[in-house]
Amino acid sequence: MKKFKSLLLLSAFSMAAISGGSAFAADTDITIVLSEELDLIEPCMASQSNIGRVVLQNISETLAVLNPENGELKPRLALSWQDMGNGKWRYKLRDGVKFSDGTTFDAKDVKHSLDRTLSEDIACELKARYFGGMELKADIVDDLTIDFTAVPAQPILPLLISALTIVPEETPIKFTREPIGTGPYVLSAWNVGQNIILDRRDDYWGAKPEVSKATYLFRSDAAVRAAMVQTGEADIVPQISEELATNAKTDFAYPNSETTYLRLDHFIEPLGDIRVRKALNMAVDREAFLGTLVPKEAIIATHMVPPSTLGWLKDLKPLAFDVKAAKALVDEARADGVNVDEEIILIGRTANFPHATEINEALTQMFNDVGLNVKLQMREVGEWIDFYSKPFAEDRGPRMVTAQHDNSRGDPVFSMVWKYSCDGGQSGLCDKELDGLISKASAAAGDERAALWGPVFKRVHEDLVADIFLFHMVGFTRVSERLNYTPSISTNSELPLEEISFK
Amino acid sequence: MNKFILKRALASLVSLLFLVVAVFFLSRLTGDPTDLYLPVDASLASREQFRKIHGLDQPLMVQFFNYVRDLAVLDFGESIRRARPALDVVLEAFKWTLQLALITLFLVTLAAIIFGSLAAFRVGGMFDRFATFFSLIGASAPDFWLAIVAIVVFSVGLGWVPTSGTGTMMHWILPVTILFIRPFGLILQVVRSSMITALSAAYIKTARAKGAKAKSIIFIHALRNALLPIITVIGDQAAGMLNGAVIVETIFGFPGVGKLMIDSILQRDFSVVLASIMVTAFVIFLMNILIDLLYAVLDPRIRY
Repeated sequence: MKKFKSLLLLSAFSMAAISGGSAFAADTDITIVLSEELDLIEPCMASQSNIGRVVLQNISETLAVLNPENGELKPRLALSWQDMGNGKWRYKLRDGVKFSDGTTFDAKDVKHSLDRTLSEDIACELKARYFGGMELKADIVDDLTIDFTAVPAQPILPLLISALTIVPEETPIKFTREPIGTGPYVLSAWNVGQNIILDRRDDYWGAKPEVSKATYLFRSDAAVRAAMVQTGEADIVPQISEELATNAKTDFAYPNSETTYLRLDHFIEPLGDIRVRKALNMAVDREAFLGTLVPKEAIIATHMVPPSTLGWLKDLKPLAFDVKAAKALVDEARADGVNVDEEIILIGRTANFPHATEINEALTQMFNDVGLNVKLQMREVGEWIDFYSKPFAEDRGPRMVTAQHDNSRGDPVFSMVWKYSCDGGQSGLCDKELDGLISKASAAAGDERAALWGPVFKRVHEDLVADIFLFHMVGFTRVSERLNYTPSISTNSELPLEEISFK
Repeated sequence: MNKFILKRALASLVSLLFLVVAVFFLSRLTGDPTDLYLPVDASLASREQFRKIHGLDQPLMVQFFNYVRDLAVLDFGESIRRARPALDVVLEAFKWTLQLALITLFLVTLAAIIFGSLAAFRVGGMFDRFATFFSLIGASAPDFWLAIVAIVVFSVGLGWVPTSGTGTMMHWILPVTILFIRPFGLILQVVRSSMITALSAAYIKTARAKGAKAKSIIFIHALRNALLPIITVIGDQAAGMLNGAVIVETIFGFPGVGKLMIDSILQRDFSVVLASIMVTAFVIFLMNILIDLLYAVLDPRIRY
């Protein structure tokens, strides 16, 4: 019996050894649960969703911030910016800003941040996402003035620069695990595998946010994440599934800036025939998806970009669901010698978005119902991308690729060049007129720019019936009832703690 | 004894080398990590730069030669995703797996031996029937289902324990319990059958005839002789746990090596995949040696 008691005691001690005391939590401390642990807390990787949610505008700030509601840029570390012509933009920087390590923010830090992001020695995602295809440099004018010059000139350079996260000039050109920023919070602990803790700074240059401390936890199971708000273990869960979003008081749907669509390969028959592309569009009963396989809050898409994007045309309508008319178009094409009986492969990507497999299966059935011969292949991302991106295989057959595209930056240039120009890495077509329209719109600025994107969208959707647009998607976030926080389109990429207050 | 250990070490080293070659080339068959790390619309120049930074632009045999050369000085390479030495990443996760496995195994062994022995002592009795019934349920219920049900009932419903995480002792209760159930059922059955055999031996009858107490008959005379098959099964279960309890780690947000391995395979973080496999293989090798030595301690007839 003595030995048995000893064993029990040993067991209790071993449990005690692995336990830690729970720290005192203030009423203004919050806990956020992310879907996966961060691999890095690196400012130049902040375009990755979960890294952005921790870093952006919390630890690291940018020169300007995009307002997703109206597409306007709001000054942050920059006070103003001005087009100097020939691709050069002059930025006036905010005075009196300090990094969390106590050093003063000035133009040297901004230059270093750009040089570091563009460096050949580290693979920063910001560079791959926003600064490809141009020569970009920064020249210091004085401590609080800096020029950015892009070759070729970029009319939306301020929008591109607004993605640049600012680090002190001492930051080495390798990925850091201890990011220093000018933001209202400082990284105070990173317990790998367990949590990340941000504490509010007392010496922040801007208004003092209400949240005093944020603890980020990581749970890959959506049901567990959602339950954590229910049990009071967490306050915000940025990603829960639609099935779990059942409590109107805590669960919010928000447009997540993703658009689902099918990219059609115009270079191969029968997809090169506009009647077949129209038939494919008319075969899709989009309304039937809403509230079933796709959340009812999603919006039927007519553009590659979400409605908050510059130049978006509200008058564009999807081709109406009409099986009879679609069949007639297929028959007409067949009569003209188009090989409409050729097997068309629909390439889907597993887990690309909720119910991706079921949606692709339903689409395949709808296409076959109008007399086409479509076969579905679901692929893992590594295989799928070979079908989606150029160079396309020379000996390929007709293919459609289901994809989801994210544009939360408010300007169509991030989507339309890559997806629709002849040289676009994921373009399934080459139309010289469309190329001209895209070039013109990309080179314009201000109101003219907004006006010039309209004809691009119209050409893609109405004249060419280029692709099959499906839905502007929504995400679901669970927020504790003790918080005032409404998720928005930017919740997909950032979660500024300063936007959170307490009831 | 030393000769035995040396022989086993050499045999394990050969297996380990074979494993390195197989995993290195098989993992490369899954594709290029560039596709997963950069945005789908990253330019070709960005992709080439990424490949160059991580040595993925080199021919496969050159990559393999470089890997083996670095491995010879115990450099397991760098995690592409985490920009840190792969071995550090793995050891950090393995620490959690080891704690979880040791605590669970200790409790499972203790409970299975006590309940299995008592069940064997009165075969067909109420205790035996209950033990068999519950151990079969435990061995056949799916982990993920039990884990979710446990969270719904004990965390969300009753609020007794946290849903997940590692912060306090309370956080360990659900993961350890869920991990406990399946091996408990299995080991309990092995203990029971092994003890039934041991308890029917002539020396036990002699002990009974001499008036030895039941506790002494079960836990001193019979148990030691019944332990060999039990240790074999415990070793097998331990190897499984040391490879990581993926489902428990995923659901309870436990940062162990099982989830790390799966994530790294999906993310094509090759250095971490290889380092995880080598670390777990090495620990399992050590554990097997330990079990072999334990055989010799328990059974004087076994000598190396």
